[in-house]
Order: sequence, then C-alpha cells, then structure tokens
Amino acid sequence: MSRTAISEPALSESVGTARSATHTAPTIIARGVTRSYGRTRALRGVDLQLEHGEILGLVGHNGAGKSTLMRMLAGIEQPDSGEVIARERTAGKSWDAASAAASGVRMVYQELALCNDLTVAENASLSDPRPTGAWGWRGRAERRIGEALDTVFPGHGISVLRRTGELAMAERQMVEIARALCTDNLSLLILDEPTESLGVDATAQLYSHLRTLTGRGVSVLLISHRMQEVLANSDRIAVMKDGMVVETFAASTATEGELLVVMGGEVRATDFEVDAGAISPAVSGRAGGRGEIVASVRAASGIAFEARAGELIGLAGLAGQGQEQLLNKLWSAGALSRGVTVPKRRAYVPGDRQTSGILPLWSVAENLTISALRGLGRFGLVDGRAKRALAARWIAALKVRGDATTPITSLSGGNQQKVLVARAFAANAALVILDDPFRGVDVATKNELYALMKAEAAGGRSIVWYSTENSEMAHCDRVYVFRANRLVSELSGESNTEERIIADSFDETTGAQR
Amino acid sequence: MTTTLSATMRPAMASRLRVSASHGFPALLSLVALVVILGITVANQPGILSVSGLTLMLMSAVPLVFAAQAQMLIMSVGDIDLGIGALIGLVTVIAATLLAESPILGVGMLVAIVLVYALLGLIVQKRGVPSIIITLGMSFVWIGLGLQILPTPGGTTPEWLTALGRWRPEAIPAPLVFIVAATVIGWYLSRQSRIGTRMRALGSSAPTLQKAGWSLAGTRVVTYVLAATLIIVSGLLLASQTRSGDINSASNFTLMTIAAVILGGGNFSGGRALPVGATLGAVTLGLITVLLSVMSLSSSLQSAAQGIIVLAVLAGRIITERFTR
Repeated sequence: MSRTAISEPALSESVGTARSATHTAPTIIARGVTRSYGRTRALRGVDLQLEHGEILGLVGHNGAGKSTLMRMLAGIEQPDSGEVIARERTAGKSWDAASAAASGVRMVYQELALCNDLTVAENASLSDPRPTGAWGWRGRAERRIGEALDTVFPGHGISVLRRTGELAMAERQMVEIARALCTDNLSLLILDEPTESLGVDATAQLYSHLRTLTGRGVSVLLISHRMQEVLANSDRIAVMKDGMVVETFAASTATEGELLVVMGGEVRATDFEVDAGAISPAVSGRAGGRGEIVASVRAASGIAFEARAGELIGLAGLAGQGQEQLLNKLWSAGALSRGVTVPKRRAYVPGDRQTSGILPLWSVAENLTISALRGLGRFGLVDGRAKRALAARWIAALKVRGDATTPITSLSGGNQQKVLVARAFAANAALVILDDPFRGVDVATKNELYALMKAEAAGGRSIVWYSTENSEMAHCDRVYVFRANRLVSELSGESNTEERIIADSFDETTGAQR
Repeated sequence: MTTTLSATMRPAMASRLRVSASHGFPALLSLVALVVILGITVANQPGILSVSGLTLMLMSAVPLVFAAQAQMLIMSVGDIDLGIGALIGLVTVIAATLLAESPILGVGMLVAIVLVYALLGLIVQKRGVPSIIITLGMSFVWIGLGLQILPTPGGTTPEWLTALGRWRPEAIPAPLVFIVAATVIGWYLSRQSRIGTRMRALGSSAPTLQKAGWSLAGTRVVTYVLAATLIIVSGLLLASQTRSGDINSASNFTLMTIAAVILGGGNFSGGRALPVGATLGAVTLGLITVLLSVMSLSSSLQSAAQGIIVLAVLAGRIITERFTR
C-alpha cells in the first residue's frame, strides 16, 4: 500500500519532467511570414520566436504590422508565404483558428470582442472550449468567469450577471482578459493593448498575474505602446518597423531611447530645447502667421489647438489617442459648444469612403457637387449649368479617370478618394477637415492630392489633416502630436520630422497623465 | 458587492433577483397595461374571474403567444419574420385537410415547412438577403399553397386535435396552461439553453460570435428551425380551437407578434429576448377584443385600440427610461 503511495508522486514527477523537457521548445515560431492586403504589404518576412514561459513585448508605430502578425500567430489569417510553427499543434493539421484554439492560444482584442447584450457569464461561455453539460452550464460558466476575475483582479466588483454593455470600459477590459483565461490548456496568451483603459491598480494586478502564468509555462505576447510597462514587465522586446521585426532586445538591458531609435524615432535627450522652441511664439509665428485664427479648441490640459487661415495642419500620434475626437469637435461644433470656435462653412473628408463617403448610386458629378449645391442654387433650384461646370473643372484639375456621368462605383479607390477630396474643396469652406483619407491610396494619387492641399492652403483656406502615416506630416505647416487624448507637442519647420513625431507620441513624461 | 466577498461562490440570490429585475424592466410596462385592461374588464364584468370566464377570455391569446415566442426567437438574431401569419393559416389548412385525411402526408408537409425555414436561415446568413424580404416573399407562397389545398374555409381537424381544443380542466383555465407552457419553452430556448446564448450573441454582435469560434450559419439555421416548430404548434392550436382550416385566419398575427415582442421589451436590432415580456405583450393585445366587447364598443375598433396601447406603452417606456437613467 505504502509503496504505491510513494511511487505515485514519483511517477507523476517523472511525467512532469518529461513534459518540461519537450516544453523547452519555443511555443510558437514565425518564419519569413509575409502578408499583403491589395497593394499594402503589411508583413514583409517576419521572424519571431516566442519561448516557453516568457513574456515577449512587441512594440512599433502605426502600421508596423503588429496587429497583422498577431492575427497570423492566432491562426485567424494565413500568411501569403512563410510559416507559423506552433509547439502544441497536432501534426498534420494546418494552423487555423480552430487548431490554434485547440492548442490553447487565446487572444485579447484591443477593440474588445464582447456581445453587449449578453451577460458577463454568457460572454465567457461563448469562448470557453471546455465541455459543459446541457444542464447547469450556466452555473458553471458563472463560477468559472467569477473565479478568473477574482484571481486576476481581486476586488473587481463586477457582477457576472450584468450585461457587458452596462459595464464601464475598464470593467469590460477586465472581463475580456479574464475570459481569455477561462481555458485549461492555455499555452499562448496574446494581449493587444490590454492596459489601454485599465486603472493603475488593475494594471499592476494584470502584470503580476501574467508572471504567475509564465511560471506555469504559459507564453505571453504583449503588444503595447506604453514603453515603460513593456520594459518593466517583458523578458524580451521585439521591435517592428515597416512589416518586419527589426531588432529584439533583452528587456533588462534595453532603454526606452534604444527602442525609439529602432522604431524610427529619435532619442529623447536632445529634444528638450527644440521642444521649448517649437512652442515659443517666434517659431510658430513664422509658420502660422499667415492669417487670423479661424478655428481653435481649448483644452483642459496639454496644448490648445489653433488653426489659422492659409495653414495646413497635421494631427499625428498613435491611432486612437484623441485625433478623431478633435476632428469631431471641429466638424460638429454648434452655437452651444464651449471652448470651440469654428468658421461657419466647413467641409469634411471621411476616412472610410465605403461607409460614410460616397453615394454609391450617384454619378461622379453628383457626388462631387453635393456639398457645393448651396452656392449653386437660387430660390431652391440648382443651376444645372453651373453644377456641370464646377464638376468639369474639378475633374480636369484632379485628372479623375472617367467623365462626369460615370457611376462613382466604377472608379478605382484612389479616384473615388479624389472625388471626395474635390467635393470638400469645391464647397468653398473656410475650414477643411480630413480624417485619414489616404489609407490605401496609391502613391501617384497621394502626391497629386498633397499638391492640391498645399495649393488650397496657400489660397487662404485652413486645412486640418489627421493621418496615421507619419511621413505624410512633412507636408504640413504645423503638426500637433496626440497622446492620451491630449495634444502633447506642436512641431513646425525644422522640428517637424518623422523621428520627432514618433518620439513624442511615445513620450510618457508629458503624456502619461490619466 | 456580494460577488467579491467569496472567491468561488456564485452570485447570491438577492443580487440575482436585482439584476433580473433591471434586465426585465422593459417588460414591466406591458404588465402594467395588462393589469389595467384586466381591471377594467373585471370591473365591468365580474363573472370573468371564474375558470370558465378566464378560459373564454384567454383562449384567443394561446396561438398568438406561441407565435410571439417564435417571432421573439427570430428577432433575437436581428431578423423579422413577415410570413408568420400566412404560415399559421397554412398550418390550419393542413391540419383541417391533409392531417385528417392522410396523416403521413400531413406530417410530411409540416416537416417540409421546417426544412424550408432552415433553408431560409441559411440563405439569410450566406447570401445576405434581408429576412424581411425573404419571409414576405414566402408569405405569398404560403397563401398560394393554402388556397390550392383549401380554396374556401372549411375542412375538419383530426380527432386528437379537436380533443386538445376541447380539454377543460376543472381547477385552472386550460389556456393558462398553454400560455405558461409557451413561455417556459421560449424562456428555455432563448435564455437558458446554450443555443439561446448564441442566438442573442448573433443578434448582438455577429463578428464576436465568429471570433469565439461558432458557425454563424449554423446558429441562424437552428434559430429558424426552432421558430418554425413554434409556428406550427401555434397553427395546430388555432385549428384545434376553430376546428377548421382557413388560410386567412391568422393574417393579422404577423404584425401583432412583432408588436407583442416590442411591447415586451424586445428590440428590432436583435440581441435581446424577453420571453415573459413577449407573452405579456401577446396576451395584452389578445385581450383588447374582450375589453371592447365588455365595454360594448364595436370590435372593428380593435386595431385602433391595439395601436394606441402599443404607442402608449412605448411612450411610457421612453419616459421611464429617462427617469431611471
């Protein structure tokens, strides 16, 4: 009797060591992975290796390919070439979403993947692969997500019976993280900006729990733009730039400056004096002194926004740091908006042309002149000749392929975008707002539109342009960099460089107030 | 919070009740409307508060409650079925003709209806055809089939169905039994079962359901199959009451079921399913005819009265939501 009692733990121990021997193999390896969307090459040969039980930080600026790489590793998308090799994969099966889920790969999405109409427990049960009985599954689901929440975020105060739509943003983020942990064989946890809306305490709780997980052999891929957090909590840090992993650092020896340089930014130490110069009236007066202030937005903290007549102003920074909110303030400001002054006539170029830009059943001319009709009418009737003339002038000026009567949907994406930009400029507005309009537009078209924007600004209009493409900001007279919903720096003239934009958008010393 | 005190315990009963109350709140106004209507009816005609009185009063609501549960399932995935009324008419026709004459053929046709609904669900999901269009189109098919089988109202229902309609227990009104059964079935399917969670997830956010690794088409097809089954039950119960078949007997059901779901706290965008609310809404709408006759008003005012009730409840909901928020 006692012999078996002794031999049993010994047996399980030997199994355990045998297992850990095989587990020393990397959890997942990406080798030469490429992926293109149309003309955009999102990944150009990524090599990445995630070891057993480590936290790998993944950093990079907008469009470096972090999200695409993440989807490849989670099996949601397949690479065009190259391969993803997972340790837990069943032999002979391709690496797709189903086999990734079966091998314990879980992902926490930045744009949270929760159904707002379902309760916390129901949401968790949707993504929980463990078997539940037909009866009592609800109770089991409530207990599992409750336990996961209690383990990671003690004192969270979330009732698992509430609909996720009723929860605050931070609470929803906690649920999204906790439900990814509702699985038995977790081998790889991918976190995309997990702390974006978490408070300080919850963030600390999350990172300490990640350490518990890695102690159990789970690998963690941590994507974040908060450099301090990545440095403090990762084992290694991979830096992505232009669809490639350009360098991998050991987190213990790397500094924020090194990471920024590899990402394409410049070292922070030299910035301070330039920074002061950029804000001083002498410098900004040179760039912005062309006309009177036509639009301004006061801010509770950070720099106030100002746009002068004849200026081309860029809004830069990481995506989703408050740029869209500023555009929205400028566009939808009314008599009752406090702290916002805008001219009466404004025009707007939307970023997503399919959903909020073109009128798909209309012709090129009709699409182009819809905003300008106010100026073309008399007594409520539209002057058809003036309308055709206006359309013809813009079509010629922008070299839109196809004539005025062709349906808008028969044009290529780039030409549709030209029509939308022309629509905004044809409307005779004092302030033109562009919401990242050149995504997926070819280089030749972009250059034509840059020239048009410069010419229109020189003609006395004020143009506010949000772009996720930092290199585009070189065309602007002045650039505001956003971080954490605030304007953290204003660049113009010589300080307006891509390196400075990258450095300032990660700059935690000025932006880290929450 | 009770949930945080103990690590492994499920939420306590008190918080469970509180949350259910807040989630079921939209159905509350429909309950208020029901109580008001019932109050007026009883005040005018106290005899109605007997087993036979309640049986008479609630009988017409039974098929409507089943149909409303079916509509609720369809609406929980974000679709709308505009063919319910015509299909219930067709089921009464089948029940009064084929089901009595050649039961195998009759049952075969009912099964075929379920299969057609499965196909509808698949087409809506895979081809992106709006459910309103496809079910409206199908409603004409149902009417055509019904007229082909039985051009004028008539026929006789099989013996077992007639017996079901004649069932009158002593202690409780028979319609109440059916209404409670319909509600429990709807509650189990939409709220308690795993497929119900998936249905509401599909209506709430389809990409999320897909990310969680579920088949969208499968979920929608199962929803349509379950709804078709409830619709057939509704048609059989209607036939058991009228003991004959009439393709036009339920033509007003289509919009009444939608109104019942909305009255009971559902919405058009999907994601929500409140079975108790849908039942309350259906019974409220079904009672209006009784109310009008008790108040000796013309029954041709029925539709207008129903419309006013729907508007009053919706207005009331908007006002109370503003206060509670």
